[in-house]
Order: sequence, then structure tokens, then C-alpha cells
Amino acid sequence: MAVPEGSPLSCLLEACVEFACCWTKKELAPGDCPNIGEGEEELLSAHRRRIVEKCVECPLFADDLLRFQESGHPLSGIFSIVINELLDLKSQLQSLGGFLNSKTREIKFLHELSLVLQTSVDLDEVLSVAMTAITAGKGFGMNRAFLLMADKEQQALRGYLGVGPRTMEEAWHIWEDVNQSNLTLRDMARLFQKDKLSSEKVKFNDILERLTVPLSEQQHVFNRALRQRKPILVENAFSNPDIDPALAQLLGVDSFLVMPLISRHRRIGLIIADNCITRKPITNQDLQSMETFTFPVAFALERASLYERLQVEIDKLTAANSKLKEQQELIVKMEKMALIGRITSSIAHSIRNPLMIIGGFARSLLKNIEQDDTKRNYLETIVLQAKQLEDVLEEVLTYSESLHPALDAWDINQLVIRVQDELSGLFAQHKVSCVLEPESELPKVSIDYRQISYCIKTILTSALETITGEGKIVIRTWRDDGVVVVAISDNGTPLPPEMVKTLTTPFIVTQELGVGIGLPLCKMILEKHGSPFIIENSPEGGTQYIIRLPIKEGM
Amino acid sequence: MARLLVVDDESSIRLLYSQELADAGYDVVTAGSAAEAVTQLEAGEFDLVVLDIKLKNESGLDLLQKIVKERHDMPVILCTAFSCYKDDFSAWLADGYVVKSSDLQELKDEIRKVLAKKNR
Repeated sequence: MAVPEGSPLSCLLEACVEFACCWTKKELAPGDCPNIGEGEEELLSAHRRRIVEKCVECPLFADDLLRFQESGHPLSGIFSIVINELLDLKSQLQSLGGFLNSKTREIKFLHELSLVLQTSVDLDEVLSVAMTAITAGKGFGMNRAFLLMADKEQQALRGYLGVGPRTMEEAWHIWEDVNQSNLTLRDMARLFQKDKLSSEKVKFNDILERLTVPLSEQQHVFNRALRQRKPILVENAFSNPDIDPALAQLLGVDSFLVMPLISRHRRIGLIIADNCITRKPITNQDLQSMETFTFPVAFALERASLYERLQVEIDKLTAANSKLKEQQELIVKMEKMALIGRITSSIAHSIRNPLMIIGGFARSLLKNIEQDDTKRNYLETIVLQAKQLEDVLEEVLTYSESLHPALDAWDINQLVIRVQDELSGLFAQHKVSCVLEPESELPKVSIDYRQISYCIKTILTSALETITGEGKIVIRTWRDDGVVVVAISDNGTPLPPEMVKTLTTPFIVTQELGVGIGLPLCKMILEKHGSPFIIENSPEGGTQYIIRLPIKEGM
Repeated sequence: MARLLVVDDESSIRLLYSQELADAGYDVVTAGSAAEAVTQLEAGEFDLVVLDIKLKNESGLDLLQKIVKERHDMPVILCTAFSCYKDDFSAWLADGYVVKSSDLQELKDEIRKVLAKKNR
């Protein structure tokens, strides 16, 4: 290699005959320089880069330089200054590189954060992301954070959520878990939302409850931060005259950050963050980093809560819409039923007169016919069939009338007594006793007297049919939560469950003609009165029929 | 013997009632319309009227009002195929209400009850 005459290098060459470092060689073979590692092969031929990157830090070069200084060459002092300056610049460059790297990581984190915040409309998810970002090591790395939300109605800031460990031990567990997992911010937030959100709310309940500050308290640090729209780094909280001692006591830390959450001039709330466990000082750098984070959080919180409110309104609207649809269908159905009712009623009335004439004359003839007359049997059949048809007509007419119940206030015990009287002959005939066990001073119920009488009558006759031999029917009445309950139980053969189901299905003829729609009709009438019709096993061993009639308002 | 006026536009029913109520020991006169009933009431003395509500082109309830207005001491039992009129305010003027049935026992019981009340 040709070294220009008088150059520092030529001086150096002159001063030192032999050099320990390989810096004078333009080209190196692999292994010539112990500082060039694998992957750095291109430095073997890049002489200038090799000197700057490797030689200046090489101990052999330092030795060569020392010998050069000792040679007393006039350039040796300057040469050392240049080399030291180079080393300083290199170190500055490295630190700048580190700073840039940390900023790049921060920007990446903020980008990830804002992406999550921008795409989420779920309030819990936004909260989880925001609070995880503050407290996770991958995020801002604070120990603990509290979120306070602005309560518009109460005109106050209220503690809403706290996140972080409460003790050193808990902190240790949390951080160990976090270190072992390699989760992204979103995944961490999801895990938090799934497993911890509710428990964290409870965990910090005692502090959250006391973190309520009226928005009118102008001098409070929270309101100051909101007013200035800037985060405040509180230091020396215990002795700071601007800080309420109760707040410092409550948080138990000397230093904390207060970050206002403001979106489009609206005060959304506030975040308090501190290092309650590590006691690591909070720097201005922390404050600046988090300042950029508060706006997207405030915006996302506002959007999520608006979305939540919107969802509630949509749900209400959907419910109203489906209710409207139901009502419309009901109206159509009722109109159809009313029409059917009118037609049925008209037909039934037209049939009733001829039927009573046939049956009536048959009865008349039967009275005047000898016992052993063969025609007697025919007449008896006519009388019986006419009676059954009359019963069917009665039920059909009750059905059509049931479409329009005339509600009024009635004493249910009196009604039951009347029905008992009416059926007393039938009970005697079947050798069945019917006992009323009424609760005294029951309020009046809002019912259609005739329709409910029909129901009680139908239930009692149905009960009678299940009793073979001597039996007992007990009617109990009592008051219960806005209704009067009437329970009719018998000691007859219990009805099989499939029979119970069939009994309350309209218009399925399970028994002989004439009683097919009795109980289904009762169910329909009772439903129109807002009462369920329960058929179950009775304490007496048979069947129990329960109805719940609404108490007349004001009774 | 109590004298009854049976008002019904259906001749077969008038025949059935006459026969059955006569067998039960009453003197029965029948009328097929409101006008005929008014004529009968003006012509003779009656102890009770059995009145159908749906008469051909006429309302038995109108006739009931007329009877109550002019002969307020005359007991009237409404006997009809319609149970719904029981709730009708106009029907409350009657002394009794019976739904028509091939079994005339209920009607006979009601007549006996109303007459007993009248003679008390």
C-alpha cells in the first residue's frame, strides 16, 4: 500500500516499525482480525469502515497508539484527540440509535393501541385495552391505574375501574405471568377483559367509591387537569399544598399522573396512574408518552359508550317493533276470532231453539209413556243426545262470549260459594264432598263473573269425573303478590301428564262430545284474565288446578 | 190456579210450554208477538209473563219495558236462547232470567219462586 509522504499514517509508520494491530493492512484474510466476526466478512476489504468500526476500539490499536504517543511525534497528540472525538461521536450515535429504537417501539405500540381503540365499539374492550396499555410492561409500564368517568347527571367524576396489584406479592405473580407469556397488547387486553375486568372492579371498590369528585370543585387537581386539557404530574403529594391530603392518603403514593380524557370538548373522564409498588419515579418522558395516548382513549371511550347507548335504544326499538308486530298479529287474530265468534254465536242460537223443541217434546212424551214401552228407549236417547248437544252449544257460546270479557270487581269466595250451591246436587249424586277453605278478607278480583264461574264449574265437574266412589274436593283461596290464588284439588285418579297437556290444548276432543273444549276453554278464558292455568298433582293424591286472578287495583 | 202468559214467536215452543206448564198446574195462555201479548194483557188478568227476548222483528226487552211501565206489579221471567242478555241493563227489569233448555225444570223452578215472592 502506498502511504502519502508526511501523512499521519506515514508518520505513524515511521514512528513504529512494527504494529500489533492489523489496521495498516488494506485487505485482510479471514482470521487476521479477531474483532471481525461471522457475518462481518465485508469489513475484511472495507479498510476505512474497518478502522472506524473495529480498530478504534481494539486493544491492540490502543497499544499501537500509545507507542506512537511515546515516540514523541508532534502529530501523536492531535491523533489521540481525533481518535477520542471519533469514539465520543460513535457513542453519541449509538445512544441516538437506542433512543430512535425506543421511539420506534413507542410509535409501534401507539399504532397498535390506536388500531385496537379505533376498531372497537365495545366499552369493556376499550377499557381493558386502555388500562392494560398503561399497566403492561410492553406499554407504559405503570404499576397501577384508576379510571374515573364523568357522571353527567350527578355532575361528578366517579371511580369506575382500578387495575394493578395491591401488594408486592400480587405484583410479583402478575409480572411473572406476564414475563412468561409473549402476548400482544390486544391479546393481553382480551385476557384481561375475559378473566379480570369484573374482579378488578371489585378489588379496588373501596378506593373507587371514595374517588368521587364534584365537577364544580374547581381547585381539585382532577378538575384542573380537565380544565387545562393537559396531564398533570403530581409530585410530593403528601406535602403538596395543591393536593387534597385525603387523596394522597387514599392513593398512598407521593407521585402520580393525572391524565384528563377529553373528546371533542366533552369531559369523558380521567386516568390516574402511579408506581405504588416499585416506587419508580415518574418522569416527564412518561407524562409526554401518555399524553399522546389519552386522546384516542377518550375518543374510543366516548364512541363505545355512545354505541352502548345506541345499542340499548336499538334493543328497545327492536323490542317495540316485535311487540307491535305481535299486537298486529293479535289484532288480526282477534278480529278473525271475533268474526268466528259472531258466526258461531249466530249458528248456535239458531240451533238452540229447534234443539230445545226436539228435546223438550221428547221429555214430554217420555213422561206419558209406559215403562215397558219399546219406544221409551228411543225417546230417552233423543232426550240424552239433545241435552249433550245443548251442552256443546253452551260451551261454544261461552267460547264466543269469552272473546270479550266484561271485567269487574268481584269477591272470589262468594263466586265459589255460588258455584258450589249450583253443583250441590251433582256432588250429592257422586257422593263427593266439596269443601271451601277460604282466606278471609280477600281483596276483590278483576274478572268477568260469568266466565270465571264457568271455569270453576268446569274444573269442579272435571274433578268429579276422576273420582270413583266417595271422594273429596278442596277449594282453597289465598292472597299472593297482586293476585288471589284459587286452588282446587281432588283425591281422584291423578291425570297422566300427556292427558294434562291435551286437556289444555284447544279443541282436542279427549272425552265424549260435550266436554271436549271445557278445560281448554277455561285456559283461554284465564289467559284473557292474565292468569295461568296450572294442572298438577294434588296434595290429596289426585289433581290440583291452580288459577291466579288479578286483584282489582285499589282494593 | 196461577195464570201465565207465554210470549214466543216460535209456535212449537208455545205448544211445548203450554203443555208442560199446564202439566205443572198452570193456566197457560200464549202470544206469538208483542202486539198479541199486549192485547192479551189488556183483555185478561195474568199472574206472570214468560217472555222471549228475540221475537220476530221485535225486541222482547221493549215489551218488557212496556209491561213494567204499565203493569209494574206484573212479574216477568225472560226465557231466551241468549245467555248474554243477563248482563244487559234492560234485562235487569225482569224478575227472572232463564236460558232456554229442553229440560224445563229450571223454568218451572223460577216460575214457582217468582210467584211465591209475588204472593208473599
